[in-house]
Amino acid sequence: MDSLVATYSRPAFENEGYSSDEQQELVQAMPSLSLSFSLPPMRNPSAFLRALTDDHANPQCPIKLAHGTTTLAFRFQGGIIVATDSRASAGNWIASQTVKKVIEINNCLLGTMAGGAADCQYWLAYLGIQCRLHELRHKRRISVAAASKILSNLVYSYKGMGLSMGTMCAGVTPQEGPALYYIDSEGTRLAGNLFCVGSGQTFAYGVLDAEYHYNLTEKEALELGSRSILAATHRDAFSGGFINLYHVKEDGWVKHGFRDTNPIFWKTKLEKGEFSNVTANL
Amino acid sequence: MRGATILKASDDKTKQLNKHTLMAFSGEAGDTVQFAEYIQANIQLYSMRNDTDLGPSAVANFVRGELARSLRSRHPYTVNLLLGGLDPITKQPHLYWLDYLASLAPLPYAAHGYAQYYCLSILDKHHHPEINFEQGMKILRMCTDELQRRLPIDFKGMLVKVIDKDGIREIDYDSSKQVLSA
Amino acid sequence: MSRRYDSRTTIFSPEGRLYQVEYALEAISHAGTAIGILSTDGIVLAAERKVTSKLLEQDTSAEKLYILNDNMICAVAGMTADANILINYARQAAQRYLLTYNEDIPCEQLVRRLCDLKQGYTQHGGLRPFGVSFIYAGYDPHRQFQLYQSNPSGNYGGWKATSVGANNASAQSLLKQDYKEECDLKEACGLAVKVLSKTMDSTKLSSEKIEFATVGKTKDGKVYHHLWGADEITTLLQEHGLAKQEEADTG
Repeated sequence: MDSLVATYSRPAFENEGYSSDEQQELVQAMPSLSLSFSLPPMRNPSAFLRALTDDHANPQCPIKLAHGTTTLAFRFQGGIIVATDSRASAGNWIASQTVKKVIEINNCLLGTMAGGAADCQYWLAYLGIQCRLHELRHKRRISVAAASKILSNLVYSYKGMGLSMGTMCAGVTPQEGPALYYIDSEGTRLAGNLFCVGSGQTFAYGVLDAEYHYNLTEKEALELGSRSILAATHRDAFSGGFINLYHVKEDGWVKHGFRDTNPIFWKTKLEKGEFSNVTANL
Repeated sequence: MRGATILKASDDKTKQLNKHTLMAFSGEAGDTVQFAEYIQANIQLYSMRNDTDLGPSAVANFVRGELARSLRSRHPYTVNLLLGGLDPITKQPHLYWLDYLASLAPLPYAAHGYAQYYCLSILDKHHHPEINFEQGMKILRMCTDELQRRLPIDFKGMLVKVIDKDGIREIDYDSSKQVLSA
Repeated sequence: MSRRYDSRTTIFSPEGRLYQVEYALEAISHAGTAIGILSTDGIVLAAERKVTSKLLEQDTSAEKLYILNDNMICAVAGMTADANILINYARQAAQRYLLTYNEDIPCEQLVRRLCDLKQGYTQHGGLRPFGVSFIYAGYDPHRQFQLYQSNPSGNYGGWKATSVGANNASAQSLLKQDYKEECDLKEACGLAVKVLSKTMDSTKLSSEKIEFATVGKTKDGKVYHHLWGADEITTLLQEHGLAKQEEADTG
């Protein structure tokens, strides 16, 4: 009884300050960068998850993750071009042709989505929250380096537990200029001029590497980004749909369309004579 | 290559079948050369018996037939092939892509293995049916540069052969310059 | 003298002859005449049909001209039954080549295949040779239009104009006389009926008595072969004034 009374009644003055517990909570209230998730109750949860989802090792796995993609981003003198396809596939099944694989973290930061669609969407949204909080606390926009580091630290804390994502963070800040980072669920974080991610990456790299240089004009850069995605959608079965094209500049990103690959392919073939293997007369 | 050892740096992975047909091969060690020599011998036998060379299309279909036969035997050859040739009658160049499952496809440009993933998109963009030899070499350079840039393999040089109306010749191809990604 | 040697194809006579082969050639020289003429844009084969009975079905099949594959035909002189075996063999050989190489067998190779078989029967024991001579007309991209002839010994050769069967000696000399290099297919057809009309017993020809076939190229460059119908033959005969009078009247 006494203990109950003690619990529910406090001396009046105590309400005016913070209890030591409450103080502790407030001091540590910078929300922890890692959220905590419940994990399967077993000794090796990551192996368990992998057994259920890894359709490469086990084609009969019960949970098929959406995997195939082509995304690319590259730096040039006028900012950063970000381009993606829009196909979501789970195994041989095309789940959607109209996925938005460019995630608008805020109006000057873009993230791309490759690997598990849910993982990317969830964690990039989380990154958006952290970036906004950073902005509010420090009264200036977060650097791309810091934002990408938040994400890479986060996914690293879940390493081996079955997260699957390959993402790029692109943004232009006054202190960094155009900055581009590659982050994947293994914990890799790389700064660079040019990245392609996803099952169609090699095809995009082929086209992009051959003609990329830093001094591309904006028009050339947009065309090269779009053409590289087209190349990948043509050769990679798991890429296709629409070409989602963005240009990131210092005052924010500009969207340059979400365009169907099919008419673009035929226009490219018929007007420029490319894709000469698509023919019946050989 | 044998495990992690390079046994020979300048191995010619092509065989000349007749005056203007060349076959490039890759695949299981041992199978490749055995199969290529078997094909070469048969094509040469045809030329001797009939006083005329088989055209590239006939050669390609013959090779496909042999691969298909082998595929259904107890020890199939695991060999992927590219077959290039100039038709001795029409003087038209032909390229055929064959894999170890005996698929045959006539193509304007082709590759096997990882090279497909990097080079085909380049060729999709830069190849046109009317290109001349110099333009062709430029596109080849783009392809080999990309392979050097992106594949985690240290190429010990590359072998380039040209098939034209004069027959088959090897040309100098310098791939010693390091190519780094941007 | 010959009795000891002529029953075996495998054995030479003391004069160095193979009697069975010669007998086969003799048998052929009684068969209906067949001629072939090469021109710049095609080949014509013509053959005499030795039909005797009115009761025989006329129009069911060609008896002297056969299609071997998409670009080759042949004319037969000699024993039709033997010819059927060889033609069947040739057709199979052509298809086998097509299966292996996905292109038609070059004409000379097909002729040689057939002749290799024929030769085998002049050498291997106890069998009689095939009693047929052939004239082959074909096209291949290597040597364009080609005309060949082969006989029971397994010999073959390429010709510009040739004949086999009855009266082939006179047909041959007529061809030699009248053949013009650089003639076209139409002229070659004319020459063929002319020669045939002179070598055949009856002076006036009719579509029942001869068979006609041509190999040529269509306007778009595709090779065709064509076994002529009765009305086409009649028209040709009329053009050259060789048709039977009453038939020309009745049309």
